[in-house]
Amino acid sequence: MIKYKLVNHNGQAIGIQKYVNDAFELGVPFDPDNTDYQAYLKWVADGNTPEPADE
Amino acid sequence: MAGTLIVSNLKTDTDNSFIVRSNTGTTLFVANTTGIDVANSFASSSITSDKILTVANTKISGNIISSQITSVANTQISGNIISSQITSVGGSQITANTIANSAIQTGAVENYMNAAGLGFGMRNRIINGAMVIDQRNAGASVGATNSAPYTLDRYYAYAANSSKFTVQQNAGSVTPPAGFRNYLGITSSAATTPGATDSYTLGQSIEGYNVADLGWGTASAATITLSFWVRSSLTGTFGGVVKNDASSRSYPFTYTILSASTWEQKSITIAGDTTGTWLTTNGAGIQLVFGMGVGSTYSGTAGAWASNNYNTASGVTNVIGTNGATWYITGVQLEKGSTATSFDYRPYSSEFSMCQRYYQKCDSFSGAANTTTNWIGLFTLQQTMRTTPSIGQSGVVYISDYVSNDIVQSSASASVVNTGGGGTAMCCYLFNYSGMTAGKIYFSRMINSNYVTFSAEL
Repeated sequence: MIKYKLVNHNGQAIGIQKYVNDAFELGVPFDPDNTDYQAYLKWVADGNTPEPADE
Repeated sequence: MAGTLIVSNLKTDTDNSFIVRSNTGTTLFVANTTGIDVANSFASSSITSDKILTVANTKISGNIISSQITSVANTQISGNIISSQITSVGGSQITANTIANSAIQTGAVENYMNAAGLGFGMRNRIINGAMVIDQRNAGASVGATNSAPYTLDRYYAYAANSSKFTVQQNAGSVTPPAGFRNYLGITSSAATTPGATDSYTLGQSIEGYNVADLGWGTASAATITLSFWVRSSLTGTFGGVVKNDASSRSYPFTYTILSASTWEQKSITIAGDTTGTWLTTNGAGIQLVFGMGVGSTYSGTAGAWASNNYNTASGVTNVIGTNGATWYITGVQLEKGSTATSFDYRPYSSEFSMCQRYYQKCDSFSGAANTTTNWIGLFTLQQTMRTTPSIGQSGVVYISDYVSNDIVQSSASASVVNTGGGGTAMCCYLFNYSGMTAGKIYFSRMINSNYVTFSAEL
């Protein structure tokens, strides 16, 4: 099962983490040319929501 | 007739002929005022070469019929043979290494290749076509999934359902075809009949920059030729496609494997697509896909462009249809032109660097503790990557201040912070440490074969 989690740096979102079966797989940048980010956008478009960033 | 006839002044008779006959009446020699009548002279004998010492320049005004020339001794042609006089050279007439460099004018070969559209430089648009580089798996087997994991560098394996086939460098340890040391091996893990919308494929996407010159999507779209060596435990007709990034233009192709478990070289020439949108920068310019088993929805008519998303040709053999079936490939080349040329071997360092534009590993880096648990540091990329990469990890990463003990993550976790250095450096987080001192510098320990990965695949 795939899930994503937002990552903050100094209070700003800087990227996403991808988890597969609760194991970390990738840190993904907000880059429209990055295919992992494209997959994330499709995942969101399919109605999913990422976990919020740690405080 | 015997003896010698010496004539100091001989006049022709009234018909202007001079004839010598033997004592039996055989005509030996005929001459007239225009010269020697060769046809009626010398009886059944020929004029052998040892009887002709020289022929003056202007004495042969017509042609010497080519069938009358069987060979010319090495020393008999001292000048040039005018090129317009050479219409063909028999296959066995030029042996290896017999055309001197000085006989080929500068630029002659280059001009020929350019005119033929063969070009120079990166003739093969496929990266890792010889299946040498396997950064991620180092020869280990990879199961294809619907996440399309990368196998050997640049090749992904997509499976609508998992556990249907595996990909491994040199699977089965057969002898590669001559000139190659490696191959990519697919092994079917089950007898699978794909559903109508299921695809099981091996693919490589070629970056737009590397195919921009083909002019696809324009009226001047160039023809390409795909060639590869393939070997399978199965025989029959197999298929694949080339398609654009949006999968809105596809060209299914087929190839036939004639003999089981035998390397065969295949070549497929494809007229460039004059329509559709084909990316020419850092997106996927051309997707090359080999079908291992594809349902009807994504199978199309071979040999024609279609405005559909296909992954193979209709009616072809499914590798995954037979449990344990094997399908091996190497020497993959996609080039401009209508002819498959010899495999474009590039230096290993060049091929490796080309792979690193899409994936690279790093185990040497430094940074500082941002908090007691979060490390932030700078990674120098070994090759400018296609776009901002994703960061991954192989295992947990050890760091150290090189004063006290090593510190290790409780579990892998990383994030990109930003890029720098004009795309040659990355600032990233590594999480899940404990006991660090904020602001203190920590270096990677480069132990346990654990490392950070950067991926910018297409």
